[in-house]
Amino acid sequence: MKAHFRIRRFNPETNAKPYWQDFTLDNVAPADRVLELLHRIKWEQDGTLAFRRSCAHGVCGSDAMRINGRNMLACKVLVSSLAAEGAESVTIQVEPILGLPVIKDLIVDMEPFFAHYRAVMPYFVNNDPPPADGRERRQSPEERAIFDDSTKCILCAACTTSCPSFWANGSYVGPAAIVQAHRFIFDSRDQAAEQRLDILAAPDGVWRCRTIFNCTPACPREIEVTRAIGEVKLAIQMGAERMRARKMTRGGTE
Amino acid sequence: MTTLTTTITEVLRYRGKIGQWSWVLHRLAGLGTLLFLVIHVIDTSWVAFFPELYEEAIAIYQTPLFTIGEFALVACVVFHAFNGLRIAIFDYRPEWWRHQARAAQIVYLATFVVLVPVFALMAQHVVEFYTGRPLDLQLGLVFNRVVVPFGGHVVEFYTGRPLDLQLGLVFNRVVVPFGGGMILALLAGVLLSGLFGAVSGRAGLAGPLLTRRSRLEQVLWGFMRVSGMLILPLAFGHLAIMHVIQGVFSINQGGTGLAASFVAARWAYLGWRIYDAALLALALIHGFNGLRIVFNDYAHHPTVRRGLTWAAVVGCAALIIVGALALISGVPGM
Repeated sequence: MKAHFRIRRFNPETNAKPYWQDFTLDNVAPADRVLELLHRIKWEQDGTLAFRRSCAHGVCGSDAMRINGRNMLACKVLVSSLAAEGAESVTIQVEPILGLPVIKDLIVDMEPFFAHYRAVMPYFVNNDPPPADGRERRQSPEERAIFDDSTKCILCAACTTSCPSFWANGSYVGPAAIVQAHRFIFDSRDQAAEQRLDILAAPDGVWRCRTIFNCTPACPREIEVTRAIGEVKLAIQMGAERMRARKMTRGGTE
Repeated sequence: MTTLTTTITEVLRYRGKIGQWSWVLHRLAGLGTLLFLVIHVIDTSWVAFFPELYEEAIAIYQTPLFTIGEFALVACVVFHAFNGLRIAIFDYRPEWWRHQARAAQIVYLATFVVLVPVFALMAQHVVEFYTGRPLDLQLGLVFNRVVVPFGGHVVEFYTGRPLDLQLGLVFNRVVVPFGGGMILALLAGVLLSGLFGAVSGRAGLAGPLLTRRSRLEQVLWGFMRVSGMLILPLAFGHLAIMHVIQGVFSINQGGTGLAASFVAARWAYLGWRIYDAALLALALIHGFNGLRIVFNDYAHHPTVRRGLTWAAVVGCAALIIVGALALISGVPGM
């Protein structure tokens, strides 16, 4: 199979504006991943092509990009999912994720994204002394289940940069940071839920979410992102304690 | 403002699913409805303050341009109502999110199903007005008799009377006062914004505001959803009476009677005044808060954003006062 690539290029040293460049690859297998093909372009055709990747197996979250119009991890997308069945060729359009400044080609500056992440206190807070037996702080499987989904986030920014509210206003804290906050707000062992809710109830917090649902299908980890945001909105209004109880009685992950 | 361009181009380019398009249409329908609401509150208040102008306003509403606008308005209200209900449901029951795409499809279907008979009835009023012939209420006949004659009557209407006179009337009576009001609201907004800044010493809203809980945003978020559910039956009832069961053409008996006496007859009942007052206040606050949210998304300069926010507040307050005064004073001499 042939693969026709259309890649959004930008070199700040030579280009005033980003532009599209075409590449063609032969001997592409349906089981190839887009990341491997980007490697082939870089290694065989144009060494200046810049993109991020680290683990290449969908865990580190460094290769989120817009592939054929939608945010995905290049290392998790198979050619077969982009091509029609039995097709002789496939067209793949790759561009950087939107809403963060482009540094070069497919590499964006993630700092604004991480600044929002840090703003929601994404760490465990418990000021009580550890249990007397010196072992773990206990939690029932049911208590663990209600935030199981939001522990899966790998901070790839695919959700945040798929959100029209974030495109409109980069000061919106964004889906990923809310998911990270959700992971601790609904953790029965944590003691800073109300502080996090104060932060997220600020004007640039959850209220900028318009329930558009772009973030949910963008997540490569299949986190129920819009649901998590909705639960944080309700927790702000009814208090973390009550919202946790509501989630417990309605079952954790559905 | 640059992000407005980005949003428009990237909404077209990003392959989001159905929810993205529902959001786009929800905004457009909301803004369209608000535009009409502003004009409508002003012209209806004329029945109390300038009854002769009100007769002219109703005559303008009966022109083809506004007839097309009326159809668009009804479509906007119906879609915005159904989609708003969908959003409210998934905001209060986020665990049902798996059904949101199906719900969005149902919204489109329901909008279509409601609009077909509604448009047929509205088209019937249009035909009755232009032909002077009452048609029977059988919907099956409407399509045969409406679609072709309508185009002909539009042409006839314009060729029968000078076109520039019509447009001149619309310009003088609608565009001038409306534009003037918008400029006044903007000026008042900037003035109030400056006063607010001088008194509070705050430099306006710049940068990420993740430091303090905003009770106001929280209350308004809830208000948008609850008021939407209250407005839905009120607005549907209002539209059904004014645009569907009878048309805008019957208000002055097709130009032979006084529109003011229609309003007077309606406002003779306290219940109707309370109904209108509830719709006035809820819809205006809902609409202008929606406008503020849109401003808030795309205006990033702190002074501009605060000025626009205050303009929305001033516009909303002014229209509620004007509308309330008209409702209280009623039609003079009737």
